[in-house]
Amino acid sequence: MFTRFHFFQVFVFVLLTLLGLGLFQTQVVRGHYYYELSKRNRVRLIPLEAPRGRVFDRKDRLLATNRASYNVIAIPEDVFPEVYPRLAKLLEMPVSEIRRRMSAGREYPFAPAVIKEDVDQEVAFRIEERKPELPGVSIRVDGIRYYPYGETASHVIGYIGAVGQDEYAGLDHDRFGMDSKIGRAGIEKVFDESLRGWRGGEQIEVDARGQKVQVLSDRKPEPGADIKLTLDLEFQKRIMEMIKGLHASVAVLDLETDGLLALASAPAYDPNIFVSPSASGQRLQVLKDENAPMLDRGINAAYPPGSIFKLVTALAGLDLGRITPQTRFNCTGSFQLGPKSKPAHCWNHEGHGSLNLYEALERSCNIYFFNVAKRLSPDEIAHYAHELGLGEPLKLEISRIAPGLIPDSAWKRERFNQPWYQGETLNMAIGQGYMLVTPFEILRLTSIIAKNGRVVEPHLIVQDRSLMMEPPRVAIREENLEVIRRAMLQVVESDYGTGQLARVDFEKLAGKTGTAQAPPLQAHSWMTGFFPYKDPKLAFVVFVEHGGSGGITSARLVKQILETWRDLNAAPVA
Amino acid sequence: MLRRLLNGIHFPLIISVVALAAIGILFIYSASYRDMGGYEAKQIFWIVVGLGVLIGVPFVGYRPILSISYPFYILTLILLVLVDFFGSKHLGAQRWLTLGPIAIQPSEFAKLGALLAVVNFLGSYHPWEGQVKTVSIALLLLVIPLFLIVKQPDLGTALLFIPMSVVMLFLWGVRKRFLIATFSAVALACPLAWEFLKGYQKKRLMVFLNPNLDPLGSGYTALQAKIAVGSGGLWGKGYLGGTQSQLHFVPEHHTDFIFCVIGEEMGFLGSLLVLCLYGFLFHSIFLVMQHTTDVKAKMLCGGVLALLFSHVMINIGMTFGLMPIAGVPLPLISYGGSSFIMTCMCLGLVLSVYKERSIF
Repeated sequence: MFTRFHFFQVFVFVLLTLLGLGLFQTQVVRGHYYYELSKRNRVRLIPLEAPRGRVFDRKDRLLATNRASYNVIAIPEDVFPEVYPRLAKLLEMPVSEIRRRMSAGREYPFAPAVIKEDVDQEVAFRIEERKPELPGVSIRVDGIRYYPYGETASHVIGYIGAVGQDEYAGLDHDRFGMDSKIGRAGIEKVFDESLRGWRGGEQIEVDARGQKVQVLSDRKPEPGADIKLTLDLEFQKRIMEMIKGLHASVAVLDLETDGLLALASAPAYDPNIFVSPSASGQRLQVLKDENAPMLDRGINAAYPPGSIFKLVTALAGLDLGRITPQTRFNCTGSFQLGPKSKPAHCWNHEGHGSLNLYEALERSCNIYFFNVAKRLSPDEIAHYAHELGLGEPLKLEISRIAPGLIPDSAWKRERFNQPWYQGETLNMAIGQGYMLVTPFEILRLTSIIAKNGRVVEPHLIVQDRSLMMEPPRVAIREENLEVIRRAMLQVVESDYGTGQLARVDFEKLAGKTGTAQAPPLQAHSWMTGFFPYKDPKLAFVVFVEHGGSGGITSARLVKQILETWRDLNAAPVA
Repeated sequence: MLRRLLNGIHFPLIISVVALAAIGILFIYSASYRDMGGYEAKQIFWIVVGLGVLIGVPFVGYRPILSISYPFYILTLILLVLVDFFGSKHLGAQRWLTLGPIAIQPSEFAKLGALLAVVNFLGSYHPWEGQVKTVSIALLLLVIPLFLIVKQPDLGTALLFIPMSVVMLFLWGVRKRFLIATFSAVALACPLAWEFLKGYQKKRLMVFLNPNLDPLGSGYTALQAKIAVGSGGLWGKGYLGGTQSQLHFVPEHHTDFIFCVIGEEMGFLGSLLVLCLYGFLFHSIFLVMQHTTDVKAKMLCGGVLALLFSHVMINIGMTFGLMPIAGVPLPLISYGGSSFIMTCMCLGLVLSVYKERSIF
């Protein structure tokens, strides 16, 4: 009887026989073919890097792209000893260096080693011509990152660098090879995942002299995705020219889309030096430069805001009902908190006389805000600062942290184990003391005021506006924001205003200057604002490190920036 | 004493075990002597322990072992859960549990745990009294460890559960329609399971169907393994004479890809010898099965046979492109203590069935 047991027995031995037949087919029938392939291992695996995605500005101008680079590669197992001196002569590099490159760690046996990257076309052709004398050596054309505008938007775009050996071990090897590059800063770093495509490769069969016979199988590399930024390249370029030689940062926001039109920081660096292997000297120089060209002064450096912060103090006083726009204080040029206190001074030592809030902001009177500060606690001021985004995390693609500081009584107790003194509230009210903010936070603050309390999160990547959610509002009454806007208009348009130098003749501008003390050096110069006053389209912040008076250095820059913007937008679009 | 111990031992089975283990030592050495791993010495230690287990299990007898099958099953489940929390990662999968100087692979023991539990459970019910409930519970006993192993993720080991389960149910006497229903259910579950697979597992399966998809990764391994085995030809390149496997074209050549070394160095004749030894081993197990009337014993032997057989099929099949590249060791030959001892425990149970065979 044929039972289940027998069925099982037959099944096992039939499959075992099939296995044996499969082995016979592989080893005996096709054995010779595989033997040939295995002799000196005739299969080579040539990895192909995926072209990195490009970066465009808002008008589809290229900010980061790839250019062809000729790399000299060699499969060390195929190279004969006499090749070394020939290659050394052609590439003008010592034999020892070639040997070192050949014996460096590789991904797998018979993988090509890179002997020299980015050689001249002429050298590449000469090597191709003399290929018969150079077994195992070949030229591979790879894409290499290229930033056509160099320093122009270096802090935004960032740069790429080679993957380290330890780092390589932890990465997905479908996407990273040993010679792969990875984003190290800016957009290149944050969007590395999407800019990077998927590696491909070819399995090729070669003959005894290392020449390709046929492609056994291949996978095309998948290029990375392109990215479109909100920046306006031309605008950015002109702003970079304006601040060249200064330690400064400028940010301009398009209030309709909340996209940044310009985000400039000076001094800057040329990201191309991080790509080209021959530029290691320049790299070192940039990294060691005491002017810190790598630092984005707009988002990663914090400074005292100075008089700009009076906008916050004024809003806190108004919104809490401690003052009205018509509340008057008398400025005599100096101020004493108590009979024994050291007197504090207004920047205008002669005094401004009796002022209401509009006039106080327009002339940036310190004494007026000392009086307002007497009616406020530090925690109330800090609350309004946070409400307006100061000291709050950024939602900018290339940075999420605000390195600044908005002090309050709890912070002081924790930091110094001391109570808060009222004198410090006075300092805080005029943006001095412990307080530090980034220019970018000031831009956000101004934008919120300009948009009548709508929360603004400036961004750099072009977004689909239909998907954007209605932004929340800050908890500040609209009529108070209206007061501040009017005061900011007076700062520029009144003949007493501190920001007169920024005045332009084609539209009305609203702004606020700041001159933050930074002894022993010159004060930091600030100006922020929105434009035009009615129906604002732009918000901006200008900051010049140790640039002196905000009403002079920064205000002049603001004027130039607005005129440039007008020129760029008035000209017919080509 | 020794006489009593060896009384009723099925020697052909032991001989095939020793022969396969000896081949294992030879080729573990050949695969790894350039790396100074000293793996062959470690393997000799495991073989000695394993042979002790092989002889020791029949001395205890399979019936007492079956009676503690549920606690053992629970223990293997606990180990599987522990490996999830404390296991060490290797090639993206959490499979090893480090206990002092040794690292154990709980999934190896889970196979045995599930086998024993299902045999004990099914054997306690007659196939004629309502199958639905019995079969469902048996399947549940199989699915729990299966799920934990897939989660590790160790797809190769998980795949081995399927033939083992089918054979045990089949020998127990499950109705054909249940078998068909179960198969259809599995077939329907496949698209669902696809969603749960990790990226690299999907890739392995896709590459199995079309190695061109990934010439840099799995496709490269598959091709190099095939070149290694194929280049051995009829006679092979001679012991220690392999170039493919020696030069690290083939990864893990002392564990999962050891057959590449054998195929390359000993050729088709060597491969055939290994196949014949496995055939002889399976034949011995069939003989033992014929000698018993105990349903549990029969299912036990059948399960062990299915388990070892599927190991051999997948492991050897993957070296020349018949099977997907799955991390499955070649029983008794691949380097690895957990695998060797687990195999010896299984075969010890078979020996015990023979020792306690019914005498007509």
